[in-house]
Amino acid sequence: MPSMNIDTTFWFFDRISEDNLCLLYNGNFSDEITNKLIELSEYNISNNLSLTKMKKKASFLMAECFQNIVRHGEIIDGKVVDYVDEGFFLTKNWQGIYYITSGNLIETTKISELKRQLEKVNSLSKDELKQLYRDVLENQEISEKGGAGLGLIEMARKSGQKLDYHFSTFDDKFSFFYNQIVLKSTDVSFEDNKADFELKEAIDYHEKMVKNNILVIHKGDFSQDAIFPVLKIIEENLQKENKDEVSKKKIYHILVELLQNISHHCYVENDKKEGIFLIGEADGYFVINTGNLIQNENVDNLKKHLDILNNLNGKELKELYLDKLRERNLSEKNGAGIGLIDIARRIISPVNYSIIKIDSKKSFITINVIA
Amino acid sequence: MLTKLEIEGTRDTAYILFDKENNLFEIKGNSLPENTNKFFEPIFDWIEHYLQDPNTDTNLKCDLEYFNSSSAKMIYQIFIEFEKILEHGNDVSISWYFESGDALIEEKGMEYKTILNIPFNLIEK
Repeated sequence: MPSMNIDTTFWFFDRISEDNLCLLYNGNFSDEITNKLIELSEYNISNNLSLTKMKKKASFLMAECFQNIVRHGEIIDGKVVDYVDEGFFLTKNWQGIYYITSGNLIETTKISELKRQLEKVNSLSKDELKQLYRDVLENQEISEKGGAGLGLIEMARKSGQKLDYHFSTFDDKFSFFYNQIVLKSTDVSFEDNKADFELKEAIDYHEKMVKNNILVIHKGDFSQDAIFPVLKIIEENLQKENKDEVSKKKIYHILVELLQNISHHCYVENDKKEGIFLIGEADGYFVINTGNLIQNENVDNLKKHLDILNNLNGKELKELYLDKLRERNLSEKNGAGIGLIDIARRIISPVNYSIIKIDSKKSFITINVIA
Repeated sequence: MLTKLEIEGTRDTAYILFDKENNLFEIKGNSLPENTNKFFEPIFDWIEHYLQDPNTDTNLKCDLEYFNSSSAKMIYQIFIEFEKILEHGNDVSISWYFESGDALIEEKGMEYKTILNIPFNLIEK
């Protein structure tokens, strides 16, 4: 199966570099994972003053999206149980606008009924929606699915906009149902200001993720509060993969080192420590890419350090690690050296890297490892 | 008497107990602090005082689930400080615990053992 290569990181970074944050997830939606996705999104919202007012609304809408993914997953019959909870989720903040996109599989034969419901919801005014909500609550028997109709009505009511949706064929039996909600921090009405990020683009990202077997992409802040939910999401996925304890811990360790490296060493612009992180799978291994800006003057040293590591064998790496451990210098900056050495000892690939010069001050570095 | 140092563990910082009076010394849990220097600073301060008059037999119990590489350096420095107790003619040792099958923590312990002069026991839980 194809996996992401080193250029995939810049492909995404280039497209989402203007975003304050962007979180993409393509995979299984257990309760634990949806909770962590919401926690991370809420953390991201709390960190952005212009968004804090919409935190409650955004959380509600995210939860509603997840319910759609999981609930529709449950009705799929045993034959296709492999991707029963498979889905796609995106949250993104660009200036004062917050986007929530979700995608889940539905049986292709059910599209026409869902479309009918979506069109009905989209044709109603605010008051009519409220009335419909009441009618459904009072009169309609709650279906086995738990009344997806109510979910759609609530999404339209809470977001105050027409539901933006799209269907794409998945295989001969299933299709992806995508849905995007756009929240704005100001009271601009949605009619006179069309979303700048189209649902079509989100679907492009998802397709790229599926094609490259990518599980999570996170662009944004790499402080501890942002790192922990990401780690938890990966741990949950490792659990599902039935990886042995040794591999699980190894991957966890590599992730911690790489993510903390970004937070300690990236180029700080407007007080923001930013980077991008991607994790995917290939042939039973995990592929981890990180990307961040660095000052041009640090490029040569980092290159030298990585080239040295890539030319050492296991025994030599261990000796270098122990030498660094014994060095008396305890500054945080020196931690990176030892972190990368320890990573190099535990991966099956070299520490691949690529550096792209952005301007006279900074460059973008991608690190790619397979473990 | 040097007052005890006890720090509650969190998701990213270890539980710390350095208690001269009851002769208890323990580092336990996870260590991947956002700011490693800041977290370990009070520990080094405490050890500096302790070294002036250490107990006759000091055993430091390390029972770590996970620690990152910048913590690895700090932990090494703690061991180096404890080694100084030998110069007083007093006994000192490290007990390094690891979960059965936890290759990472076991390996880290073995590495410390090879580069330290302090009695170092690896204990499988």
